[in-house]
Order: sequence, then structure tokens, then C-alpha cells
Amino acid sequence: MIETIASKLLVQNVSQYFILSFILLGIGLFGMMVRKNLITILMSLELALNSVNIAFVGIDRLNHLIDGEIFALFTIALAAAEAAVGLGIILSLFRLRKAENVNEIIDLKG
Amino acid sequence: MLNQIAFYLFGSISIICGLGVVSASNPIYVVLWLLGALIAISGIFFSAGAELLGALQLMVYVVAIAVFYILIITAVPWRKLHKNEQHNRLIGVTVLPFIALLYVEAFIVGISGVSITKNKIIETITKNYGNAEVIGIKLFSTYFWAFELMSVLLLISMIGAILLGRKEEKTYD
Repeated sequence: MIETIASKLLVQNVSQYFILSFILLGIGLFGMMVRKNLITILMSLELALNSVNIAFVGIDRLNHLIDGEIFALFTIALAAAEAAVGLGIILSLFRLRKAENVNEIIDLKG
Repeated sequence: MLNQIAFYLFGSISIICGLGVVSASNPIYVVLWLLGALIAISGIFFSAGAELLGALQLMVYVVAIAVFYILIITAVPWRKLHKNEQHNRLIGVTVLPFIALLYVEAFIVGISGVSITKNKIIETITKNYGNAEVIGIKLFSTYFWAFELMSVLLLISMIGAILLGRKEEKTYD
């Protein structure tokens, strides 16, 4: 009984990558919503982007292709660009407005 | 079998560190939890056989981006960060059913099934030459245009970050 369960668990299964990817994506989305500090919101965004990379690698294992890993490379480059621009915006927001929480930036509220 | 044990180990570490990213209150601790999650995800890439991607994850994310976040945290005053409440609890309770709805949707899509035809050619090439060579060949032949566009995007974002980070003449207050 235990051996069959263990053998079932230890078979290389592809859907495990998708399950892990979805769990991490949910955690990252929840962090983006629930956080107040702008820097930690960006960090939760990095977690969500990484979870998508796990799904890309998983579908490569399913499909015996290499294209998913190339798209994951593009995602990493995109995350670097997004971190640079986002943190620049946060820094200038803090310097000009003294604001580093999302509920302090309410100028567009009518 | 060893791959599978490594997957379960690194997957559980990444989920625990992800929960820490969401729940920790001190921003330095949030950076440390994020660092742990990124290292565990690179371990998942290594165990899945994507060696180049795992190495790039370690180099770009763990070294470059995490250090960048720590530098930005030093630019924000420390007292104000500690004084404020870090979580918006009302939004958290409101959003939680929708996250659950996302999981239900993914489960429905998963059990309804998506079929993909397998491709054996890449597997034999990977066995002969290894992971990095195949990625290089594909990247510089099929995806060459996207690669060049990505380099232009990185250049534009670098110029934008420099423009945003320069000293302003006057503030808007």
C-alpha cells in the first residue's frame, strides 16, 4: 500500500509543475493586493513572474521542446527591466511626494 | 526518483518562502524570504533539467535584482516603514474568494484536459549536445528578432531609470 503510493508519488509527473506554479501565482497575486508598501508590492510581483517560469519549464518537460525555456529567459529579462523602471518610479515618488505607501498616492481620486 | 525528491524539497521551500514574502512585516525580512524563494525556484529548474535557466535565475535574480531591492530599501527612511501597518486587511479578506475562484478555474481546466503532441527531435539533440547549446541554437535562429527586441527593451528601461532617478529642480508640493 505504502509502496504503491510512494511509487505513484515518485513517477515524474508534469502536472506537479503546474500545481506548484498556480500555488505560487496565487500567493504572489494575494501579496500584490494585500500589501501597502510599494517595494513589497514589486517583490510579490517578482514571485508571480517566477511562478510563470515554472509553468514554462513544466510544459517543456511535457512537450520535449525547448521554446518554453527561451520564453522564460525573456521573462527574466522583462523582470529586470520592470524592476529598474518600477524602483526608479518608487524612488522619485518618495523624493517628490514623501510617499511610500499606496494609500498616500490619491491625487487621481476625483 | 532523485529528481522527484529534489522537486518536492525545493517546491515546499519555495511555497514556505512565498508565504513569508506575503506575511512578513519588516521589508528586510521580505527581501530575505524572496531570496529564499528565488533560490528554491532555481533548484526546481535544475531538477527539471533546465540548467541554463537555473544558472541565469541565480545570476540575474538572486544576485542582481535582490541586491537592487536592498539598495532601494536603504533609500527609504526606516522609522516611517516601521511605524505604518504593512497589510491592508480589508482588501485581503475581500480578495481571498477571488483567489480561490482562480484555483477552481484552474482545476476545471486541468481536469477537462489539454492535449499536446510530443516532439522527439529536440530530446535527441538535447541528449547529444546538452541544454545550453540547444537554447543557443534556437535563440539565435528562430527567436533572433525577439532577442534583439528584448535587448532594445533593456536599453530603453535603463535610460528610463536614469531619467527617473535624476535630481529634480523643484518638487510639486
